[in-house]
Amino acid sequence: MSGRAHNEITYAEALRQGLYQAMELSEQVLVMGQLVDFARGVFGSTGGLAERFGRERVRDFPVSESAMTALGIGAAVAGMRPVLVHHRIDFMFYAMDAIVNWLSLWRFKSNCESVLPVTIRAIVGKGWGQGPQHSKSPHAWYAHVPGLTVAMPATPFDAKGLLLESIFGENPVIMVEHRSLYALKDRVPVRPYRVRFGCAAVRRAGEHITLVAVGAMVPFALRVADLLEQHKVQAEVIDLRTISPLDSESVCKSVEKTGRIAVIDPAWRSFGVSGEVIARVAERLGRCLRADPLRIGYPDSHTPMSAALEAIYYPSEVDVAAQLRKLCR
Amino acid sequence: MLRLRMCEDALAREYHPADEMRCPVHFCVGQEAVPAALSLLLRADDYLYSHHRSHGYYLAKGAPMNALFAELYGKSTGANAGLAGSQDISYPSRRFFSGAVLAGAAAISAGSALAATLQKTNHVVVAGFGEAATDEGVFWETINYAALAKLPLVLVCENNKYSVFSPQLKRTSSDNISERVATFGIESSTIFGNDAPLVHRTLSAAITRARNGAGPTFVEAYTYRWSGHYGPASDDPMGYREPGELEAWKRNCPIALLEHEIRSKGMLDDAEKAALAREFEAEIQACFQFAKGSPFPVAPNWASLNFASATPEADRLLTDVDVNEFNAHQELVQAKGY
Repeated sequence: MSGRAHNEITYAEALRQGLYQAMELSEQVLVMGQLVDFARGVFGSTGGLAERFGRERVRDFPVSESAMTALGIGAAVAGMRPVLVHHRIDFMFYAMDAIVNWLSLWRFKSNCESVLPVTIRAIVGKGWGQGPQHSKSPHAWYAHVPGLTVAMPATPFDAKGLLLESIFGENPVIMVEHRSLYALKDRVPVRPYRVRFGCAAVRRAGEHITLVAVGAMVPFALRVADLLEQHKVQAEVIDLRTISPLDSESVCKSVEKTGRIAVIDPAWRSFGVSGEVIARVAERLGRCLRADPLRIGYPDSHTPMSAALEAIYYPSEVDVAAQLRKLCR
Repeated sequence: MLRLRMCEDALAREYHPADEMRCPVHFCVGQEAVPAALSLLLRADDYLYSHHRSHGYYLAKGAPMNALFAELYGKSTGANAGLAGSQDISYPSRRFFSGAVLAGAAAISAGSALAATLQKTNHVVVAGFGEAATDEGVFWETINYAALAKLPLVLVCENNKYSVFSPQLKRTSSDNISERVATFGIESSTIFGNDAPLVHRTLSAAITRARNGAGPTFVEAYTYRWSGHYGPASDDPMGYREPGELEAWKRNCPIALLEHEIRSKGMLDDAEKAALAREFEAEIQACFQFAKGSPFPVAPNWASLNFASATPEADRLLTDVDVNEFNAHQELVQAKGY
């Protein structure tokens, strides 16, 4: 490939680049969602696509989340590779029937004869008063359903690689993107590449405690690890990248070394990713743990709007670091 | 129609008390005209989507009867190897799909119609469903989008009046579905759905419109199910049908009406009908033998049933990331420490 092999670009730009390249690589790729054909489309992640590929393939869709998902399924049955985009994951609940009753079980009920390479991108808001209706992160709900892959890219590099892997794979994928990550810059290869599902990444090596994180909590965990280092605690930070499939191997390998685990999940604490990860570790290494495992997430409450309450609701690096230091004593 | 009727009657006789078909079956006795018309009108590359009352549509697309029977018996030789059953049966190589949550398959069908316009193929898509599917919101979202995008789609509503035991006018403020659909700008009509030649003419025109790029059509075909909501037994003891209603519809049997018409034109006589019946009966008996004699499925690999592991398109188009390059990238992320 001529020119630079990498660009330093934002998470939003990485998504846009992934979509652009996917549409160039295959005419079967189709993008649907509200306002995807606008210049600043979906926080910058779909801008310019309509101008290049036309509004037949880059389709502004009515506020009909349920039908949009069903149309994505039907297009995939006929050989297309649709990408559906939700500005707010909260709106996607209207599509639950299509996702759970149809999309997830299509392959199963056809005895693997018909597959649905449908990619659903959904964005989770946080802060600036997003409040209870624009900040839910129900990724664990989807991971609970057989047949759905759930990807949670935390870096621009992964955003592009996981998106391309979703589009050109053969399974339905829900990609949960945290809005707070959109401005992050990172070095991203120019060529179309893949990040395989179920391969966690060690973002930082450490000896004393394993911090497992997903999505927006990966940078958070790295900041926590910095704070812990000031107190001579070396945290290993593992980014799961996909929660279904879930790379238990990498997590267990790390916990074998550290003997301690905390999971930081950008969601309500109960019945979530943290519980699942800790259960998998406990099933294999329960007797080897040197401290009680810890779930770190949001209170089991809906998100408040007021900035004063947001500051209390969302965990802070300082508080979490203090909790973790207790585990490492 | 006669083949479908005999198939359903035979399945119904075997359903109870043998209890070897251990899945919910929604029989379509009395509702044969729409699927029978479609069986004459659809091409191999057309898609057909159906609701849970699926057998007529399944056969209409040329899917094999023996695999239908085996599916109901939960056998490995079933259309879906015993994974789907009657209400979610599919036959992908014949482009036939179904599903039980009412409007879902109709909504999905619009996506296959969208694909036809984008892929510039000439296939059309037909979806059959009951009138209760129009109680669900996604139906109207789909109608809107089908009209907006002028999709090559034919939506056939088999209005059999009841959602399980609940009559239409207990559930909706009016029974003018096709009038409401027409307001979206969709060609729309209501017909007597047991008049097979009329159903054939109407659907033929709709499919031609779709194939010619003239957009979607909605057809509401009034018909009636003779059996209960599911299973062969009447659920009359529930008291939801008006007295005499079933008898009136039986007097308007789609098969008897057609038979009367073609006999009067000298196109069918007793000997010809008996020959047809013998042929279908032999086919049906062979299907029972096939289904009953087939093995049950063995323990599957649950993971591969639910997730594909092969990724041929990704393998072809995407590159893996070089490990060294990836590690360099990791350092960059860490250095930023965001």
